[in-house]
Amino acid sequence: MRARARLYPKEAARLLREKPGVREAVTGATLHFERNRLRAYGEVPIEEWRERAKAVKDHVLTHLDHYLELAERRLRENGVRVHWAETPEDAHRVLREIVQRHGVRRAVKAKSMLTEELAVNPLLQALGVEVYETDLGEYLIQLLGEPPSHIVGPAIHLSLEEIQKLFHQRFGTPLDAPPEALAQVARKVLREAFLSAELGLSGANFLVAETGTLALMENEGNIRLSTSLPRVHVAFVGLEKLLPRFADLALFLPLTARAATGQRLSTFVSLIQGPAREGEEGPEEVHVVLVDHGRTALLQDPEAWETLRCLRCGACLNACPVYRQTGGHPYGYVYSGPIGAVLDPGLLSLEEAYPLPYASTLCGACYEACPVRIPIPRLLLTWRHRAVAEGLTPAWEGAAMKAFRQVMASPALYRLFSKALRGLPLPQDLLPLLKAWTEGRGPLKPSPKPFHELWKELEEAEGGP
Amino acid sequence: MDPKARILARVRRALEGRPKAHLPPHPHTPLPEDPVDLLLGRLRENGAEAKRLSREEAKAFALSLAQGLPGAAFGKTLPEDLRPPLPELPPEEAPLGLSYALFAVAETGSVALSSEEGRKAQLLPPTHLVFVEAGRVYGTLLEALEDLKALPAALGLHSGPSKSADIGQVMVKGVHGPGRLVVAVLIGPG
Repeated sequence: MRARARLYPKEAARLLREKPGVREAVTGATLHFERNRLRAYGEVPIEEWRERAKAVKDHVLTHLDHYLELAERRLRENGVRVHWAETPEDAHRVLREIVQRHGVRRAVKAKSMLTEELAVNPLLQALGVEVYETDLGEYLIQLLGEPPSHIVGPAIHLSLEEIQKLFHQRFGTPLDAPPEALAQVARKVLREAFLSAELGLSGANFLVAETGTLALMENEGNIRLSTSLPRVHVAFVGLEKLLPRFADLALFLPLTARAATGQRLSTFVSLIQGPAREGEEGPEEVHVVLVDHGRTALLQDPEAWETLRCLRCGACLNACPVYRQTGGHPYGYVYSGPIGAVLDPGLLSLEEAYPLPYASTLCGACYEACPVRIPIPRLLLTWRHRAVAEGLTPAWEGAAMKAFRQVMASPALYRLFSKALRGLPLPQDLLPLLKAWTEGRGPLKPSPKPFHELWKELEEAEGGP
Repeated sequence: MDPKARILARVRRALEGRPKAHLPPHPHTPLPEDPVDLLLGRLRENGAEAKRLSREEAKAFALSLAQGLPGAAFGKTLPEDLRPPLPELPPEEAPLGLSYALFAVAETGSVALSSEEGRKAQLLPPTHLVFVEAGRVYGTLLEALEDLKALPAALGLHSGPSKSADIGQVMVKGVHGPGRLVVAVLIGPG
């Protein structure tokens, strides 16, 4: 996927102006997820779980070469064909070969953020393969031609009315059809696709090195179907998805479910060891594509390597007051929200993802939510420091910060400027910072009196504090 | 160099000088409750129906569930004595699927289904009836996973009906998999 992260400030402002409904839909959905997460975290010794999960992931990452080789060996012993891909082109080569060898005409796909990174769907379409996204939310945005807006709920930015309109145009359902009826229509179309597709595509939540097990979590059943019915199953797995031991799933499956949706466990978990055995139903061929695409570079980073612990649960998105305003689209890359702001500069380059580390108030809610304790607020600052060091920030910013420091450090200057700013007409169109604010908003109106004066008056009126 | 060699070389270079993190052991926290009671309660909270039945009752229960239906799809590992006298239908057409779980996990409210019994009967019919022996109910997921010696090609953990809230945040059941999950825990010698 081509990154458009540099346009973040403009795109965010445009979305807020032109699609005010998105803010309402995303806020409603994320606060719902957030409440469920808090309740689910409260039921277990969550700090101990988070610490242990962090330790296991750090162990895997600091022994990654060992576990990658072990996983490959176990997968092969299980009859799985293993491929390594450094780049999207490598992954495309693998997939193209499989598609051509099996004469694939139709593919069913389970939601996977990695396949968004790799732009798998455009490749398949170019090869003449009909691709069906089978997660209901992902199917909706596929019909609309949009990228996912959230890691777990790709269509949370859509209102019921918009979906009713979409189905009315596509399938002729009534404009007031209830969600159940719409889901039935989608079920029918996709059931037909499941039964006729030759190829099933998925990502993976985890890959267990000890047993070569692919673990996938979901609530609809589309992943189980995508990995069970077609003749061939191809799973794209990021290098960071490894777990050392099969029993580690006993921590990571419930932890991910609680973080993502507040469930004890997602409704369906698939633990896949390989192709169907003699006389069994299931895929004849299972392929695992181990994908780098920036992960080894990130591992080399002395600070940002910690983002490789990420479980893709979306909890930090739900906790973020900035993400909530727009959803994921303005971030301009696969991963949005707080994790996107610290992961995208590592996976792409800071230059390409430059403004994203600034898409945060540094409130720290993302860190509290993160099931593997990724220090997102600290990493946001790391990337900001680097942006300054690399000269990516505008020249006026440094000068403005210097002047600001002088004014804030001197009570006399502070009073002078606070008076002047109140008295003078603000050159709103001249200062870039003010312009960014006033674009799409009303002008700034200062209060008639500064706070320190109001405070003084209050003290005098009440006869001292 | 092929992609694998290049990737591994970069991983090793990246890890040079990085302190190695220690792998923590699995903590065992046994549950105080009776696992079968807990399983039934958790399944219900997950939106499934859950019962405790004798083997005799189980067959009659399956028949009552199949009342008015043309037949059912059966998992291959379903024991003969649990198989209700119903016409067998292909899973693509069957309104009811019958499975025999490998085990169940109380704390998460889950039944574990092996690919050995055939996956279609577990996934395609709108209603899924799962039998599990009381002796195969584990308290925790950790106990269950540590006890699992031979892994099937695919193991599915089902913890409730298929559901989605992707359309306007309204919860809808039966999106792709079974919209109704009924679990019967079998008491008595099996």
